[in-house]
Amino acid sequence: MFLAMKEMMHSKTRFTMIVIIFVLIAWLVFILSGLGNGLSSLAASVFKNMDTDYVVFQQGSQSSMSKSLLSENLVDEAEDIPHITAAAPMGSSMATALKGQSNNNDDKVDIAVLGIEPGSFLEPAVIEGERLSADNPGNVIANVTMKDEGFKLGDTFQLDGSAESLTIVGFVENQTYNHVAAVFTPMSQWRKIAFAAPGSDKGIADPVNAIMLQGNKIDPDAVDAKLSGTDTATRAGAVQGMPGFKEENGTILMMLAFLLAISAFVLGVFFYVITIQKTNQFGIMKAIGAKNGFLSKAIISQVFVLSLVSIVVAVMLTYGTAAVMPKGMPFKLETNLVIAYSALLLVIALLSSLVSVRRITKIDPLKALGRVE
Amino acid sequence: MNKGLQLRNISKYYDEGSHRVAALDRVSISVAPGELVAVIGPSGSGKSTFLSIAGALLQASEGEVELNGQNITKLPDKQLSAIRLKEIGFIMQSSNLVPYLNVLDQLLLVKKMSGKVTAKDKAWAVKLLEDLGMGAKLQRFPEELSGGEKQRTAIARSLVNDPNVILADEPTASLDTKRAHEVVSLIEKEVKARQKAAIMVTHDERMLEYCNHVYRMEDGKMSLVRL
Repeated sequence: MFLAMKEMMHSKTRFTMIVIIFVLIAWLVFILSGLGNGLSSLAASVFKNMDTDYVVFQQGSQSSMSKSLLSENLVDEAEDIPHITAAAPMGSSMATALKGQSNNNDDKVDIAVLGIEPGSFLEPAVIEGERLSADNPGNVIANVTMKDEGFKLGDTFQLDGSAESLTIVGFVENQTYNHVAAVFTPMSQWRKIAFAAPGSDKGIADPVNAIMLQGNKIDPDAVDAKLSGTDTATRAGAVQGMPGFKEENGTILMMLAFLLAISAFVLGVFFYVITIQKTNQFGIMKAIGAKNGFLSKAIISQVFVLSLVSIVVAVMLTYGTAAVMPKGMPFKLETNLVIAYSALLLVIALLSSLVSVRRITKIDPLKALGRVE
Repeated sequence: MNKGLQLRNISKYYDEGSHRVAALDRVSISVAPGELVAVIGPSGSGKSTFLSIAGALLQASEGEVELNGQNITKLPDKQLSAIRLKEIGFIMQSSNLVPYLNVLDQLLLVKKMSGKVTAKDKAWAVKLLEDLGMGAKLQRFPEELSGGEKQRTAIARSLVNDPNVILADEPTASLDTKRAHEVVSLIEKEVKARQKAAIMVTHDERMLEYCNHVYRMEDGKMSLVRL
């Protein structure tokens, strides 16, 4: 630490430049991870925030709500299966909410209509207004982002291409589905919207898209065996099964992976070049008795301090960026994620410094005498 | 027990293609505490190889090195660096200070290498630098020092662990005559006062008046020039 700090204090410009490079890389990592996180919660926050463990789909539906159709009767059967403490049906369909009767662009808003049983564990807590009630199926609770689109508590809106109209009685937060705001309706109302066309329910009695399960140590195979024609997936599997989710997340993850690999290389080369410049000094220090361990510690502690400073600055910049980002941008920082990527960057920097450490152990102190014969 | 530094029948061979070249050929030398010995000779004569072996930087092919009664001929690398740290003080050519450490830190670095720096260590380092006339420049960096001041600092650094042996490799290489005399007389004074066994490799014949004995190296062989 002694050598590391003294050197950094003495060559401020050089080390500031390295910190700047590192900050930019780290900043980009955090921004990308924030965007990835934001996008994936936009796509599936309904599932992510749902208190459920397993999801029962129709057989062959690839864990996708839109490909699955089941009868609600299976809910009672599911509740009899051991380890399952509760089961609740859910339906989903995409729709367009019309604000008034105008034909303005701004007045059509995409929403996801999600049908649930009022009072079941699938109903999210309202932050404003009232809960759903089975007696008033036209009353719905909507994600709070609907407010930004100009909807208020008590507003009634029509659905495009449908005779149904819905009244917002409550707002919930962090409920988006398929990148649009979720609107929860009682199951009966959802059926009217989703199966308006005759025959679209394929003759299934009380159709739903999926059944969510709560419980401990649920055995998905046992559930499949008990409920005929079903396929049970974990909640994470259901998230992955959402249309486009895997592709979207894969793109971001790929960018992050490349970025991290490149940063490892760039930082490693930087540290290596600095180390090579100091070959002679290290030779002298070895000649007067410095052990490899002493010099390696100096390098590693220097890289550690540089990395830590850079990461802290980058985190602050990232939160600063988040504060000025436009509202519609799907950007979501989570403390856990920031900590995880910080640790990852730190580890990458330390690993990349090992090349330099290896170099140091190979320096011959004889070089210090200047004239090897 | 023999105090000081003894080299007995040291040979060092290098393989150059198919034949063996002897950089050192059965070199023997003995330096007692309080003695400053000069080794002179043309470049390529084996002076540096000799100094490297005496300084525990290089293993001899044959022969024995005894430092303050301890035979260091066969010690592994790790122990050799400990020997260099504790038992040997190096004074190298003028550009051998660490550029980003101030004068006092140059000495404390050596202390750091063997562990923590205590207040006593620091006081001792300051005292050494004061003795060598560097008391007013403790916070200066090497780039702010003259060649003579750099060498004074290097002398102080070589003494900081109170080693038994001092090895100087061309300490006057880039100094003018006046500074060179100052530096070598200082080395001589410290060697006498602190009872160190010292060897100075030089081709600066002006400096020989400060030395107790003078040896000449030629083609790997060492001969006594002046007692």
